[in-house]
Amino acid sequence: MRIKLLAFVFGFGLGTGLLAGPAMATPARDTPWLPEAAAYRLTLFLGNLTPVPWDELGRAWEEPYRGSEYTQGALDWLAGQSSLPTEPLTAAIAREDRAAVFGAATRLVSARIDEELDAALAAESPAAAQQAVRTARELYRAIEDHLAAADPEAARALGRAWLELSSATGSTGVLGAGATEPDLNAMATARVVVSDYLAANYRVADFAPRTALTAVPETIALSGRTVTLPATLPPGSDIFDQDPLPLLVLGFEEQGIDETDLPLIAYGDMLFDSPEIFGGPAREIGIACSTCHNRSDINQRFFIPGASHQPGAVDVDGAFFNPMFNDRRADPIDIPSLRGLRFTGPYGRDGRFASIRDFTRNVIVNEFAGAEPTPFMLDALVAYMTEFDFLPNAMLTGDGRLTEAAPEAAQRGAAIFNQPFDGLNGKSCASCHVPDGNFLDRQAHDIGSVTPAYEGSRGGALDTPTLLGTVYTAPYFHDGSMPTLAAVVNWFDTTKSLGLSESERADLTAYLEIVGAADEPYEDFDTENTPFRLAFAELTTFASTLDTLLPRRDAQHILLLTDTVAADLAADAGTMANLVARPEIYSLAERLAAVGAAVRADDWDAAEASWVAFQSEAQAIEERAF
Amino acid sequence: MNSMLSRRHILALCCASLAALAAPVRAQSAPLRLAFIPQENPEKLLGDIEAITGWLSREIGVPVEGFVTIDHAAAVEALRNGDADISFMGALPFVLAEAQIGAVPLLSEVYRDAPTYTGRVFVRRDSGITTLADLRGRDIAFADPISESGYLYPLAEFERAGLIAGPAESEAFFGRVFFAGGYQQAMQAMAEGLVDAAGASQYADLLLAPGQQSQVTWIAESEPIPSHLVIARPGLDAEMQENFVNAMLRLNELEHRAMLRHLYGPDGYVPADATTFDGVRALARRYGLLQ
Repeated sequence: MRIKLLAFVFGFGLGTGLLAGPAMATPARDTPWLPEAAAYRLTLFLGNLTPVPWDELGRAWEEPYRGSEYTQGALDWLAGQSSLPTEPLTAAIAREDRAAVFGAATRLVSARIDEELDAALAAESPAAAQQAVRTARELYRAIEDHLAAADPEAARALGRAWLELSSATGSTGVLGAGATEPDLNAMATARVVVSDYLAANYRVADFAPRTALTAVPETIALSGRTVTLPATLPPGSDIFDQDPLPLLVLGFEEQGIDETDLPLIAYGDMLFDSPEIFGGPAREIGIACSTCHNRSDINQRFFIPGASHQPGAVDVDGAFFNPMFNDRRADPIDIPSLRGLRFTGPYGRDGRFASIRDFTRNVIVNEFAGAEPTPFMLDALVAYMTEFDFLPNAMLTGDGRLTEAAPEAAQRGAAIFNQPFDGLNGKSCASCHVPDGNFLDRQAHDIGSVTPAYEGSRGGALDTPTLLGTVYTAPYFHDGSMPTLAAVVNWFDTTKSLGLSESERADLTAYLEIVGAADEPYEDFDTENTPFRLAFAELTTFASTLDTLLPRRDAQHILLLTDTVAADLAADAGTMANLVARPEIYSLAERLAAVGAAVRADDWDAAEASWVAFQSEAQAIEERAF
Repeated sequence: MNSMLSRRHILALCCASLAALAAPVRAQSAPLRLAFIPQENPEKLLGDIEAITGWLSREIGVPVEGFVTIDHAAAVEALRNGDADISFMGALPFVLAEAQIGAVPLLSEVYRDAPTYTGRVFVRRDSGITTLADLRGRDIAFADPISESGYLYPLAEFERAGLIAGPAESEAFFGRVFFAGGYQQAMQAMAEGLVDAAGASQYADLLLAPGQQSQVTWIAESEPIPSHLVIARPGLDAEMQENFVNAMLRLNELEHRAMLRHLYGPDGYVPADATTFDGVRALARRYGLLQ
């Protein structure tokens, strides 16, 4: 399984980030949003969920978005930066009137752009004019991608107008040298292009009813023309891999077997990292199994507004990923680790799937709106995922006993762990977290951690989770409500009246921290083992399955592979430390894309030739670039 | 290409800086005052200043204060009148400050193992444009008229290729010359097809989305440009200067590297070499920025 590289961004005297780009498996770091632009995007996103999370939508305007560089929410920010009224918007939110919220928010953002353009034209210095134009342009970003998708010609005209505006503001020069005066006529002319379009499309008094809330221009919406919008995540989203990156332990690798000699597993590895097996927004945004399960483990930073109640959690049967599967209940769960997967069935938090194969199909088809996977795909995914092993831990034997390396407190804690308690119906912690069974019992129990969904509900039983590796998977419980293992111990002590003393709780916690520990929990990157090198090795391993698939003339699975890997290779090139070698990676990606193109054209000789070229180029790069 | 701030921002920053000054330090000698030039969200810069001045105070053993200036000119004025001892600065403003007030270069930022970078002329790979001459009559977006890598150095490549005799002729050679306001804006305009080429830092394609990065290439690269640097006012106490430089060089050590993100994000620092700015001085004279 490869990793999702964090696109590395830096600038010389220019603090910037990456623009949100087209959907890629390698996500781009989002440029910071201005508060009101962020709130608008969140309004569109949350307003399209069913049911609309009104509290969260209100907070989108009241509080800074998650990860914002601004300490103020949009409403407070506007109170200080703008003279525009926000009452129409807040009143519409209070009424939970979706259409009115859309209209008020759209008019507010477009009026803000005009307000800043007014300021630019009235500015007394090039510096002030530039700042106002920059702000206006950043606000325009709130509608830009939808406008471009719906009305490319207008987007181009407006894009040129923004260039004219920024060029015409003049320059303060540097230390008194090279200053130039603003060209007010040019600014005014360009400003009219922007403002006229905004007036006709975003500042209209009454927007026509819309099924989906989008920033598609009103004139286009009224025309009835079908517009395909790019799927995007709202500000505050985070689908980058966690840092530090969990260490992946694969059974075959530990036994010295090369993945390129295991084509079914290598193909499953590729699928685990392929957004192509999903459908809907997940596929377009670039979400794969590995997005949530970094290196078979978890992703503590994963967050999507409206789908996550906290980082590391997601509601996979909510409104966003697959409306067909929307259970209309806000019930995000903490992402579980997949380490030791073959020992942790049944699957799902409540153990609803006995088979990992059934569970996997449900993830692909129902949770993430993918097409029905082929038997080969499911075989490959299961073959790969059942190689996930627990992290080696020198302080624990295979049958769950502490070794002498474990500290004394943990030894004392082990006794408490195995001690029956009245509050546990005469059972011990070890009754369910069976030490010689990888600290689980493969059963569901209701321990009282789930708030009943309705009076009389018996839906609180959850599958016993393993305790192995848990030091690195905080927070705990199905909803991530327990921040630490100590908090878990306290919860049991309190709710089950265990009567533990403070030192006993500390000992029990120490025991859990040893059981859940690992010799090496994280991937250790250095100047040799770089993130790009790891990704490159994984992508070329995925490609190695062509040795099996090409002779079988298996077009369907070849195309799934080439579509996934070629795009990822090219996208990952931007993260290389060795930037000079980037064109070679682009060339390599094109070779793989050419395999796919030849297979699509049913030209198998050309496909074979491109595959041979890929292999020899990849080997040359491996020798040279690293 | 600093981001200019509103008066409201500056007032807020000044107040917050005063609050930061109240931080306790071990020694009570005269404070070292650092001028920062805002290049992104001013709120973030405030937090950065607090972090780095706190660290420097502990390392040097004297109070270190940081404050935000409105731009390079204000920073240089602060150095001139003694309100600031040290400032962060680009290479071009430095050579002007050197000429105007005798500013002293202390440290150069390092990116990817070098205290230099280049400017490039970028085009879309599918544009069919392969040489600078192909851009005759076409549109180009630069970052800013006073940007080294985002204007002056890339434009000099057109001179070197014999296509223009000087900056004044650029309007005649190109269809349109735009100043987009920054590297990213210039690159985005090129990538989206609003213009045919962009002049920007050699790393500016990394500011594009990953999918766009593979769609662009560059057709010319400038001479090395000295990276941004840290400068001192003339007459700053030699021991203080040495202590400051030594502390900053400790940022290159693994245990302190995390602090670099509070300082415009370089990979590290090296002692500045005044002779490496000869090219910038010559360019500034050619462009009429320096007498």
